[in-house]
Amino acid sequence: MTMTLEVKKKLAALMGQGRYLDRPEELACYAYDAFLEEAMPEAVVLPESTQQVSKIMALAAAHNIPVTARGAGTSICGAPVPVNHGIVVCFSKMDQILDINTRDRYAVVQPGVINQELQNALAPYNFFYPPDPGSITIATIGGNIAQNAGGPRCLKYGVTMDYILGIEAVLADGRIVRFGSKNVKDVTGYKMAALFCGSEGTLGLVTQAIVKVVPKPDTSRTLTVNFNNLDDCAEAVSDIIGSGILPAAMELMDKFVVNTIEDNANLGLDREAEGCLLIEVDGTAGSCEQETAGIMEKLTAHNAVHIEEAATPQDQARLWTARRSVYGVFAKLAPDILSEDVTVPVSQVPEMIRRIKAIAEKHRITVGVMAHAGDGNMHPLVPADRNNHEEWIRVEKAFDEIFEAGAALGGTLSGEHGIGLAKTRYLPLVMDQDSRDVMAQVKQALDPSGILNPGKFV
Amino acid sequence: MKKTTCTPLVTAEAQAAPQPPRALANCGKCGLCLSACPVYKLLREEQASPRARLQLIKAFDNGNLASSVLLKELISKCLMCGSCAKTCPSGINHYDNFMQMRRKMVADHGEEPAIKALIHLLSKEFMLKTGSRIAVVGQRITPDALAQKYSLGNIPLSRLPRLNPKPFRDTRPQTVPASSRMPAKARVAYFTGCATNFMFEDTGNAFVEVLTSLGYEVIIPGSQVCCAIPMLFHGAAKQAVFNIKTNIQALSQLSCDHIIVDCSTCGAALKDEYPRFLARAAHDRELAKEFSSGQLADLTDRAGTVAAKTKEILSFLAAPESGLTDALPQKAAIPPVRTVYHAPCHSRNSFDSHDKARLLLRRLPNIDYIPLPSEADCCGGGGTFFYEHPDLARQMMDKKQAQVRDAMAALWLTDCPVCRINISGSLAPADAIDVCHPVTMAARALKADESAKP
Repeated sequence: MTMTLEVKKKLAALMGQGRYLDRPEELACYAYDAFLEEAMPEAVVLPESTQQVSKIMALAAAHNIPVTARGAGTSICGAPVPVNHGIVVCFSKMDQILDINTRDRYAVVQPGVINQELQNALAPYNFFYPPDPGSITIATIGGNIAQNAGGPRCLKYGVTMDYILGIEAVLADGRIVRFGSKNVKDVTGYKMAALFCGSEGTLGLVTQAIVKVVPKPDTSRTLTVNFNNLDDCAEAVSDIIGSGILPAAMELMDKFVVNTIEDNANLGLDREAEGCLLIEVDGTAGSCEQETAGIMEKLTAHNAVHIEEAATPQDQARLWTARRSVYGVFAKLAPDILSEDVTVPVSQVPEMIRRIKAIAEKHRITVGVMAHAGDGNMHPLVPADRNNHEEWIRVEKAFDEIFEAGAALGGTLSGEHGIGLAKTRYLPLVMDQDSRDVMAQVKQALDPSGILNPGKFV
Repeated sequence: MKKTTCTPLVTAEAQAAPQPPRALANCGKCGLCLSACPVYKLLREEQASPRARLQLIKAFDNGNLASSVLLKELISKCLMCGSCAKTCPSGINHYDNFMQMRRKMVADHGEEPAIKALIHLLSKEFMLKTGSRIAVVGQRITPDALAQKYSLGNIPLSRLPRLNPKPFRDTRPQTVPASSRMPAKARVAYFTGCATNFMFEDTGNAFVEVLTSLGYEVIIPGSQVCCAIPMLFHGAAKQAVFNIKTNIQALSQLSCDHIIVDCSTCGAALKDEYPRFLARAAHDRELAKEFSSGQLADLTDRAGTVAAKTKEILSFLAAPESGLTDALPQKAAIPPVRTVYHAPCHSRNSFDSHDKARLLLRRLPNIDYIPLPSEADCCGGGGTFFYEHPDLARQMMDKKQAQVRDAMAALWLTDCPVCRINISGSLAPADAIDVCHPVTMAARALKADESAKP
């Protein structure tokens, strides 16, 4: 449905000065996230209140206009790309932290609050909000909810969904609904707030969230570990987790990833190692000591050749900053970058890595293997050039096979990025027809005319 | 809409030469640059972000977007602080891309008269000198009532800095010998920049005092002119050529060990922008015309020498081998003054000087340095940004000022003249906060018997 001039005028009238955009130069700035595909919206609005969002939705519903929600646009699966055009509702200006209550362990935020800003606001209370996506410094809580974002320390702490106590949302017809509460225990009715996590704006627009916050651990320790053999490296991960130790984060990087990071950040990682682990434990000094000892034992048993502990908090921060920049440093290597996050049970991590390597070799593509290995969340990174059609066909085939391999090992399509435009076609690999139908029925119930982020996975 | 193209054609020679990297192609759109952008952080609108500007440039280059006044506006709503490029994990040089795009946009849509006049003035040293003489007289006779009423951006005329009675470089010999009390050290060339020359002679005097008293011989080349950054930022590449040539000639023929700036933006020009500009000129028919045959290669060579010697004063003094630490008295004669610092964008991004500046400030016995969380946040000055976008500049400044007042500081140091104009201009007289270059306090500390107040 194309927006008529009349609808555009009505929409503009709902918005304040500078909060309605429809000139091509402005629209072009809301056509993308960090994924490859782009699509132009017909209008962009930057609301300031729930009431305004409700009016926008009522207008869109009356005229059957597609509506796509957007935070900071840092997702890497194309979720906020408005493939059916229509209106982009960008929440970046609804950026107020409304309440912090560490006694009752919650904070109330608007969707445009940047994850890092919430962390900064919690720091004086010695509390934190665990989900830590790579884009933590700019991604919004609303976007994190839409994508059910994760991050390295979600190994121990869980993903966004585990920290959403309640939401306020505007539905497709403009109704304002509230699910959940400020109580950390709440089994009143369906856990509707959880349903919105990972919904990518297909069920409603989240306009406020009550998030659970937790006390900061006393201390943390970070190890970098090298292996001469990638298999050993992966087996060590599987064995550590299998033995009941739960580090805060356990990141695996192959030689190619380590070298790409080193080219950029010069951290002194070993360029010769076939596999490298970045492990963080946190808790009390005593528990850290105990976990580190247990981890060391396992590492040695799996032929780790070098183990080094970050000496200062600054060194720890440098390692994690470098880890967060991997997507960006890979972008340097080629015009396009494909990063997927197929996830398998942790015991299958070694086998999954072997399969990814074999598939890449078969299709003659370059792949960097990185993983939030502790929770089986693989991040194969492929730098390539979309304009090189022959190469691109090989890349696509390789990814088809990587997802098939993940599914065959009891894995799933996405651990934390979401489905968006990137993975819709793979859904049948992990969900049968009946299950997908139920998902469609839920969508149908909340958004009968299908105006919320159409063209995505449901 | 009229589609205007102004992409310069590539000459045959340039095609044979190695191509500059396809800078834009490798932007992964990750968005990390947004977290570094002072304008985005304030406005929270994608169209005011570095990533969006790159996307717009890409769309323009691909022919998907026509040149327009709005496009020029979106490209120019930027401080040119370089924080985005500094943060970019993909190594995109946002800065360079923005500069070239600004040039195209100015060619198509012109520039604001006030900025055009400024650029014209800065590209003609003799006019600048004459202009400043007239302005000095003007400032003396402007009635206070008028000075209060009119303003530049948010800054009332009355709070703009007084011009130097005489340009700084005219007050000094071209070679200032090292103090005889110290063992002779190296020879340094002082690139003063226009701000010190015409406005902030206190900085210039302190600079020369500190270095000569530490045993350095200071050469102040008489033929130096404006560094050309204002022209480059406002798309006046052709006007920049004369200044770039002149400065490279003036500095490369000197026999000196270091070329030191008190303004890191000038420093960024000498260190980074001149070599880049010359490399680009080889691929640009219009710019290549400005150079005689063989001149470009010769200048490129010389620019490399200049770039390698260029340093900014705070990092230079913070290094133990400068000799400052040993020369400073242990204790100030009078109680140290409560002092805060503003880290300018080009000091942080082009010279990575923030930590070194802090080190230096902690060593000065005459100040009680209080680091602030907002120390490295933009003040909104940004060359001409404070004049073009006073509302945004004001909001950026307000956040910083609140922290400075809470710190009960009496002195606010910064090593960028535009930040200094912007900061001192937006303080109220009741604040009673002095603003000057850190080198001024270093000079005072070396004269232990003098008052510690600027």
